[in-house]
Amino acid sequence: MKETYFIVATSKDLFDLKVKDINFLFPLEEYSVGYPLTYKMEEITSENAFLLINRILDEKSILSLQEQLKQISKKIKGIIFTDLGVLEILKEMHYSGLKIYMQNHNTTNASSINAYLEDVDSVFLSTDITKEEMMCILDKVHKPLVVPYFILVDAMYSRRTLLKNFQEEFDLLKQQEVLLHEPISNQDFLAIENAYGTVLYAKKFVDYRFIKHKNAKYRFLNPIGLSKECVEDILMGKDLKDISNSGFLEKETYYRLKEEER
Amino acid sequence: MKKVELLAPAGDMEKLKIAILYGADAVYCAGKQYGLRANANNFTLEELKEATEFVHQNQKNIYVTVNILFHEKETIGLKNYLLELDTIGIDGIIASDILVLKLAKELKVKYEIHVSTQTSILNSKAATYYKNLGVHRLVLAREASLEDIKAIKKQTHLELECFIHGAMCTSFSGRCVLSNFCTGRDANRGGCAQICRWTFSTSKEEPIFSMTPKDLNLIEYINDMIEAGVNSFKVEGRMRGIYYIATVILVYRRIIDKIMKHALTKQESAYYLDILNRCANRESTPQFLNGLPTRKEQYFLGRDEVSNQDFLGLVLEYDEKTHLVTLEERNYFKVGDVVEFFGPNIKTFTYQVKEIYDEQGEKIEIANHPKMILKLKVKQELHPYDMMRIKIFDKQDYL
Repeated sequence: MKETYFIVATSKDLFDLKVKDINFLFPLEEYSVGYPLTYKMEEITSENAFLLINRILDEKSILSLQEQLKQISKKIKGIIFTDLGVLEILKEMHYSGLKIYMQNHNTTNASSINAYLEDVDSVFLSTDITKEEMMCILDKVHKPLVVPYFILVDAMYSRRTLLKNFQEEFDLLKQQEVLLHEPISNQDFLAIENAYGTVLYAKKFVDYRFIKHKNAKYRFLNPIGLSKECVEDILMGKDLKDISNSGFLEKETYYRLKEEER
Repeated sequence: MKKVELLAPAGDMEKLKIAILYGADAVYCAGKQYGLRANANNFTLEELKEATEFVHQNQKNIYVTVNILFHEKETIGLKNYLLELDTIGIDGIIASDILVLKLAKELKVKYEIHVSTQTSILNSKAATYYKNLGVHRLVLAREASLEDIKAIKKQTHLELECFIHGAMCTSFSGRCVLSNFCTGRDANRGGCAQICRWTFSTSKEEPIFSMTPKDLNLIEYINDMIEAGVNSFKVEGRMRGIYYIATVILVYRRIIDKIMKHALTKQESAYYLDILNRCANRESTPQFLNGLPTRKEQYFLGRDEVSNQDFLGLVLEYDEKTHLVTLEERNYFKVGDVVEFFGPNIKTFTYQVKEIYDEQGEKIEIANHPKMILKLKVKQELHPYDMMRIKIFDKQDYL
């Protein structure tokens, strides 16, 4: 099956990419978190655009979003959302574009994904699972999925403005992107914040490009911090081991401690 | 006022019994599988049966958490487990994975289906999505404000459950896998290593970065929450000890009962707040209920936790004829100390330790071995599961 790329519009340079079958995901201003660039509805004029709404929304925000979505251009091909309240809005307005559910921590088994697929056109596959689990799920799902291609994996989303709080506490320069190092595990995380919360990404990209499956139709790129040239290298299949690793693809997580560790 | 539920954590059978005896209307616990506190003791199916019988004998409810996010291999056996819980006769499950929510419905189980806080419901539209799945109750996100709660109630009329006390995640629940990255333990399957309580460095010469939140405490908002439509008031802490459970549940029991009778005074609130603050090992705040938390609702200089040693002993039995109470010691005390006894069926009273007897009936001056069995002479009647603690506050001082 031919793959279609979903690339987050993390930089306006990316619009010059000369690659077929690209769709850009535009993080919607006030309704998205964890991206260095967000867009107002009226700024999204591209022919191959999807709205990206990944905030968990409080009552006031979802009602204002509902008003905004009444103005949505017919040119926008679809809406990618995290809060299931958005799905209810789209049902109420009989939205005819593609509806895609993006919550990559709770799409870890095929039965759950198929349950979501009853209401939407596609679902983002989890990044918390192994390669074997991914392939097993892809075999069982009823519709094609959005499968990661080359992404920064999100490790945490908080409603708190953690960077702002830290910078205020110590009277530091205000920054909305900060690299954090956890010394015990030697893990690095990129924190990106706006007024609606803080997202921590694992600093290294995860390379999923090898995955090929008839249900891996949509391939997701989240190229935060990468240049247009680097994204071209990704799409051309170049080796990018220096900036990437295999995430949890080869590393199964566990959850019950051995008796002696408790 | 409509009756509301005080819901307590039960990490094991002893904690479950303490919670029920100290005034909880319901408890939540996990089986050995599928719960998000994989490293609590939890309950075998046989223990769940015993727990359910105990809870129902006391005309209370028991809910079982089935709230992990399932990977493929965990889905095997889930159907049988849900049916086993039905046979046992529990009153509800708390689930977040849509697989569980739908499967329980398909199986036509007799127990209620509650949507876990792991789903982070903050608005009436998301609540409607779950309502349409046929669930009975929503456990709202800890990030919900009073306005969010009101709107969700108004639009769905579903039962609403809110956390009112205990530890907070930094993240939206279910949206954190820091533990997976830093320890290999899956946070969404019960292995959370609480990385948000660890410290980080930035890439510059800056102070240590910390994101540790203070605890949640909504004691001052119970009345507002009842009016907003909250049906169940949930205390966090399946990993906490029995003293914490007893103290927190008893305080909220008394507060809710007073509110229902329109009889809670500001002075009493202040007294109970001091007791709660004393028994916690971290500071607590209302967090999101009345606005977005600021830097004041978190810690910055690493872990700032204190170990509470107020709990002196657990009453095992009381002899009405000799007035001797048999006590299991928990923390050091000695002859001359002024302590107090509290429990679900007694008025808290002050007591000065005059004589201590060991298990052999020999007089001793100090009790310094945790779990040692002791006897004290106490005139007021006591009951098993009453507790002795350091005298911390005198209610008279608040009146």
